[in-house]
Amino acid sequence: MSVAIIGVSTTKFGELWGTSPRALAREAVFGAMKDARIAPKEIQALFVGNMLSGILGGQEHLGAFFSEELGLRVPAFRIEGACASGGLALHSAVGSILSGQHETVVVLGIEKMTDHKPEDVAAALMAAGSQEERSSGATFPGLYAFLARAHMEAFGTTVQDLAVVAVKNHFHASLNTNAQFRNTITKEQVLASSKIADPLRLLDCSPVSDGAAALIITSNRRQATGNRRSVTIAASAVATDTLGLAQRESLLELKATKKSSKEAYRQAGVDPGDIDVAEVHDCFTIAEILAIEDLGFAGKGKAAAELERGEYTLNKAKKLVVNPSGGLKGCGHPVGATGVKQVVELVEQLRMDAGDRQVIGVRVGLAHNVGGSGATAVVHILKRA
Amino acid sequence: MLSPVKIWRNQKKIAGLAGKTGRIISWTIVRVPPNGFADQAPYPVAVVELDGGKRIMAQLVDWEDRHVAFGQKVVTTIRRITQPNTEGVIPYGIKVKPI
Amino acid sequence: MVGIVSYGTYIPRYRIKIADIAAAWKKDPDEVIRSLGVLEKSVPGGDEDTATIAIEAASSALGACAADPKSIECIFVGSESHPYAVNPTSTIVGELLGVGHNYLAADLEFACKAGTSGMQAISGLIEAGQIRYGMAIGADTAQSKPHDVLEYTSAAAGAAFLLGRNKLIAKLVSYTSYSSDTPDFWRRDGIRYPSHAGRFTGEPAYFAHVAAAARRLMEKAHCRPEDIDWCVFHMPNGKFPRAVAKRLGFSHNQLAPSLIVDTIGNPYSASTMLGLAAVLDIAKPGEKIFMVSYGSGAGSDAFLWETTEEVVSYQRSAVRQKKTVKDQIERKTYIDYVQYLKQTHKI
Repeated sequence: MSVAIIGVSTTKFGELWGTSPRALAREAVFGAMKDARIAPKEIQALFVGNMLSGILGGQEHLGAFFSEELGLRVPAFRIEGACASGGLALHSAVGSILSGQHETVVVLGIEKMTDHKPEDVAAALMAAGSQEERSSGATFPGLYAFLARAHMEAFGTTVQDLAVVAVKNHFHASLNTNAQFRNTITKEQVLASSKIADPLRLLDCSPVSDGAAALIITSNRRQATGNRRSVTIAASAVATDTLGLAQRESLLELKATKKSSKEAYRQAGVDPGDIDVAEVHDCFTIAEILAIEDLGFAGKGKAAAELERGEYTLNKAKKLVVNPSGGLKGCGHPVGATGVKQVVELVEQLRMDAGDRQVIGVRVGLAHNVGGSGATAVVHILKRA
Repeated sequence: MLSPVKIWRNQKKIAGLAGKTGRIISWTIVRVPPNGFADQAPYPVAVVELDGGKRIMAQLVDWEDRHVAFGQKVVTTIRRITQPNTEGVIPYGIKVKPI
Repeated sequence: MVGIVSYGTYIPRYRIKIADIAAAWKKDPDEVIRSLGVLEKSVPGGDEDTATIAIEAASSALGACAADPKSIECIFVGSESHPYAVNPTSTIVGELLGVGHNYLAADLEFACKAGTSGMQAISGLIEAGQIRYGMAIGADTAQSKPHDVLEYTSAAAGAAFLLGRNKLIAKLVSYTSYSSDTPDFWRRDGIRYPSHAGRFTGEPAYFAHVAAAARRLMEKAHCRPEDIDWCVFHMPNGKFPRAVAKRLGFSHNQLAPSLIVDTIGNPYSASTMLGLAAVLDIAKPGEKIFMVSYGSGAGSDAFLWETTEEVVSYQRSAVRQKKTVKDQIERKTYIDYVQYLKQTHKI
């Protein structure tokens, strides 16, 4: 049995002051249903990925909340894994289909962050880490700063190398009408932006964003093949590592990325060299460098030099393009929505529907979604049907 | 962590961690602090490997620029974690200082 | 015979120069330094308080004698700046030191003599055979109103003395106390900064009580300044202890090693106890130390100590580990007035 993605949609990502979570959900889900050309009654379950609704807004029970809002009176679940909530929601949805429990389900990733003060959002995001990390006064950028510092010490990576990632992803985002940032930036601008947690500066960090994305997935062969624009999910894998960064075996890699991608490559019967396009979890510039290495696209310590040469960049890449949507940095990072939006982007790429962002000759795509500082990693591999 | 019960349970953990030596294996300086830490910023936070192998993350205190470095020897000490509000129980916890 | 088994001290590393405080208020630095006899004072880190300072001093005392924490049957913490108005500092210290649960804990308050009062009470419990070991701690993060004269001297530090009957480094030969109701310096409940009665804090307060307690002790112990090697008096500023020592007939050399006030200011409940520690750091075996504390409100605790042979190995170990009072005074980082206001939570 295989699982196909027959409908996709994403809202704009950004500071959407006037748009409520309900409106975001309706836009994404109804958009995906329209894209799939299916009627509401064909949806059998709803999987919602979200991290902060309870902590910031006091609203839990999102399965019931969105089931009612969307008029989909079906089994409904909210799955949480910090910033990997979206990817985990998709993974859970895939599991429910492979088990035969459901046939056609909708996956919604959604986050509304701009209703709250930045300090409250920053504190809420640290719920992704451990109590020890919260008590130490570390912030989310601080956690990735540790990883950056260790990478710099071991491999001679520089802050200029980190800046290249931000420049690339803003360039990609400038081609994406749904992205939060449409402006291109320079290395100099990154290096002149204000310090957040040494060595990371403001432009090394993905922004606070609102947004939603949705997928309709099915095992129904008639739906899947009837819809000529469908894409199959060839792999869905999750791995877990220690919650706290200090307790990891190595600060030079995210083992959860390595484990989940290894399993995903096995499930899909491909290796890293077969991937044409990837949406990876660049919550901070260093995270993209680590992802490129841990996913096997480049050797450990080698990603920075390749990025500097234009690899992984639209119109220049020789191996594959990374984050054509603009990634978390350029497109925005509404935490629970990101994992789903990454898959939406891959589907549009595989359908040859990505316009100015189209990567030529794509057949296999990979989505990489991380929770916290690497305690959870979810990897999906998609193939053109 | 301002629940008195959680603070009480946590006390038992920190009692065993004070006075231990170790070395810094990575560090950052937090310049945009989270709630409760505003009065202390900017401050370094370090990943420390204690003698014996245990790893912890803790704020570095009584520091000068030269102490924020790989391999710096530190010792764990007990300090206030955050400034409590005027009515709450005071959370004490582990920080590290250079030696 | 009861006495000191071990002791530990802790002085936070931050210092602010009296001249810098004076400059902030456009006063003549030299004049202020001359009138108070203090050059710089210790400032606690923003995340330090009386409990954390007491723990540092007490850990140091325990570490120095390798005593089993569980043998401590009494902890008294004396301070003017207990973290809570209701909730004992002494049990926070006890818990984090691992002393177990079989001990008497209480917090004491009597301005700057709360710590030494604890020493007398614990000594009594030991002499009565009720307990074998007790820890008396004096610790403070003294507060003062900006621009008030106390701002130049109010400092932070802690001293802990483990008292017992065996393996003493100093014997407690004799002790007494003198008390009266004298409102020279006070702080009402809920009010942030203390108030004082200006020059009234001098003759009728500090001098009257210190001298009276001193004379009572000399009578009780049949000793005179000539029989004594060292003296320690409470140090609210650089002038008062020098003046009272002279009046009582002590020489400057007998007083000199105890004068921590010149370089760290007045850490209130830790003041006299730190002075005692500084003397114990350098005293030879068989030497007598005369110590009188002072607490506003008012009263004085007086002690006559005599060092033993054991003090030598204690001193060697403290020197090797760089834990002497002198080491701590010299381990310092200067901060400016704005940083001082931040660390003492005034801004």
